[in-house]
Amino acid sequence: MSDKGEVNLTGVKQSKGVWLVKVPKYLSQQWEKASEKGEVGRITIVKKQGKSEVSFKLNADLTGLDAQGEKDASLHVPRDHPFTMHTVGGQTLAVFSHSDKDEISLEGMVVQRAECRPVVNDNYMKLKKLQIKESTKPQRLSQQLERAVTTVFKPVANHNFNMEYEKKKKSEGKMVRAERQVVLDMLFSAFEKHQYYNIKDLVEITKQPVTYLKEIMREIGTYNSKGAHKSTWELKSEYRHYQSADEEEMQT
Amino acid sequence: MASLGSSSSSGTEYIVRVPKNTTKKYNIMAFNAGDKVACSTWTQARMERDMSARRIYGEEETAEGAAGSEFGKKQREEARRKKFGIVTKEFKVEDQPWILKVNGKAGKRFKGIKKGGVTENASYYIFTQCPDGAFEAFPVHGWYNFMPVAKHRTLTAEEAEEEWGRRNKVVNHFSIMLQRRLREQERGEDDEDEGEKGGKKKKKGGGRGGDLRIHDLEDDLEMSSDDSHSSGGEDGESKPKAKKDAGKGKGKKKKKKGSEHEALEDSDDGDYEGLEVDYMSDDSSSEEEPEKGKPAKADEHPKGIDELSESEEESEEEKQNEEETKEEEEEDDGKKTPVQPEKKKKKDSSGESESSDDSDIEGETASALFMKKRTPPKRGGGRGSAGSSRTGSRPGTPSIDSGSTSSTLRAAASKLEQGKRQSGSATDTPAAKRLKMEPNSQSPAPSGKSTPQPASGKSTPSSSDVQLTEEAVRRYLIRKPMTTKDLLKKFQTKRTGLSNEQTVNVLAQILKRLNPERKNVNDKMHFYLTE
Repeated sequence: MSDKGEVNLTGVKQSKGVWLVKVPKYLSQQWEKASEKGEVGRITIVKKQGKSEVSFKLNADLTGLDAQGEKDASLHVPRDHPFTMHTVGGQTLAVFSHSDKDEISLEGMVVQRAECRPVVNDNYMKLKKLQIKESTKPQRLSQQLERAVTTVFKPVANHNFNMEYEKKKKSEGKMVRAERQVVLDMLFSAFEKHQYYNIKDLVEITKQPVTYLKEIMREIGTYNSKGAHKSTWELKSEYRHYQSADEEEMQT
Repeated sequence: MASLGSSSSSGTEYIVRVPKNTTKKYNIMAFNAGDKVACSTWTQARMERDMSARRIYGEEETAEGAAGSEFGKKQREEARRKKFGIVTKEFKVEDQPWILKVNGKAGKRFKGIKKGGVTENASYYIFTQCPDGAFEAFPVHGWYNFMPVAKHRTLTAEEAEEEWGRRNKVVNHFSIMLQRRLREQERGEDDEDEGEKGGKKKKKGGGRGGDLRIHDLEDDLEMSSDDSHSSGGEDGESKPKAKKDAGKGKGKKKKKKGSEHEALEDSDDGDYEGLEVDYMSDDSSSEEEPEKGKPAKADEHPKGIDELSESEEESEEEKQNEEETKEEEEEDDGKKTPVQPEKKKKKDSSGESESSDDSDIEGETASALFMKKRTPPKRGGGRGSAGSSRTGSRPGTPSIDSGSTSSTLRAAASKLEQGKRQSGSATDTPAAKRLKMEPNSQSPAPSGKSTPQPASGKSTPSSSDVQLTEEAVRRYLIRKPMTTKDLLKKFQTKRTGLSNEQTVNVLAQILKRLNPERKNVNDKMHFYLTE
């Protein structure tokens, strides 16, 4: 897409000024609980003695903590939050938005910075105390058990291992040599998928005894003892016609 | 809604909404105030993620399927990594930096790096005012600090260190980048077949004298994304050319300025040591010779008696070589002009100008300043002819001593010994090679004539410090063995106020009187005294 990465500059062209407001965590959590309409409170801008004072008042229904939405919760989030205004001095701040479809647009420039502060009262202090308690809890915990764990023993031989061994013996027995041609077909189809194979993997794929398999492999393949693919088998050059990855990509 | 006037003070109330739709994620783009970025002036902008780190952090994509792959390789690799406890950081697209290109190809470029920790303890919201007067608050997801990206070439760390070491000596800082660019060009021509991405690839290809070059991988990788945007290659190529032209212009100016300065600068002691002199013509060097050659002092070969007897061309060429060698060895000159044509021009003009000395010196110093491209072949020649080197008395001083010079030196010396002073000086002068001379007003004798100095050993007094006296020569010879060249170097014509021939003559006489002992060191005849 030619438009990918193209930044939509309409916001900036219109010189839309926005405010960047730092909001405490608890307040933003409350805001997330807001209703569908999204109204969370009101801002009041008052001009006193030439200076504007901005204050935010949280809606009553959002003051309850703990997502119960009830005002009867013991602790309330404070409601009044005066804003402290700052100028955007040392930095030029712009706002850009990034959508899921990778559409980037420049929304506007920041003209004012503000911090949302709660009014400090007892209620707020209690809230803070709660927060501190939460954060000081250690993440890991030592717990004493009443009874010792008895499920783990030190066996003489691994019980599971034994079972597996027996099972294996039963089901497969000694691997039977299949027809040479059948084995060859299996091998070729395997080598179509990958170029290098370990002998153990081949045994697993073909279910043939090792000696037999090695014999066949010696006929159609070579063994790499050195190099990147340490101790692996690969087909002889006359048997293989791998296309390089690039060619494949080009073709597909 | 809207504005309700409150009774106590003039306030307005607005509703704050936090919209629930989350299709757009808001981020902050922070620029430094010093960069003076005015977003409203942008006509066009493109921004995309900088994926160059993917190559580093992403797994090495070995061929999957068919050719080159191993069965179960991935599992084995994973198991291996777990066993050794190697934890590789994931490559998160969200955390990658942004690359912002403003106003197309010719405009600025910025790199926006995510600032961490912004959303940890407090949330930022963007308050915008809606047409209906209410505020809408959008949470900020990320903060990116955008910094301008230098489009000009920069030195790598190694080169920067080298230049730092030379900072006291280098005067012309423009030349540093020029030299680098020319070096790259050289190298670029050499490995042209190795697949190019324009000039920037050359930057990658080998450092000065080394094949390993440490550089910002990002830049290279950025290139590849640029290329995909077409015209990236052209960009790279046009840039070095453009810069070269700009550099040329600068170099020219600087050179001219430099020559002016040189004419006015006062010399320090030792500055003229080994300064090459042009032996071009018999014209009197009326002007003071510019000091261009000075900087590369230690390397300049001493003007000796031999030089006087050399032919013009020889010395010209030699000097050129020497200049170039000097340039190699010590770039304290600092006034480098990059341009070949200019050098040639200068050389031509040097022949024409009335003050042959000056122009020749200029030409030579010009050659000194020139690109190493020219130097290797010539230098080889120069060095070859140099042959002998000083006996460690002067560090880093190549003495260029062609066969003819040594023979003439010995011839001159032997003549002196035999007391055939007159004939000796006669043979010396015709070539009219001149050592650095003071303004004509001060030189007592016109060039081309030999005026035997009084045998007293006191040379014509001059305004400078060193006198060509027997005492001085004796002192030198006692201290250590010196060749005639060395001695001559000690008694610069500018200092002693004598002309070349005079110096030679006086020196010859003094030597005759002193009758120092001789020994052959490195095929050169050294004189010394023991007391």
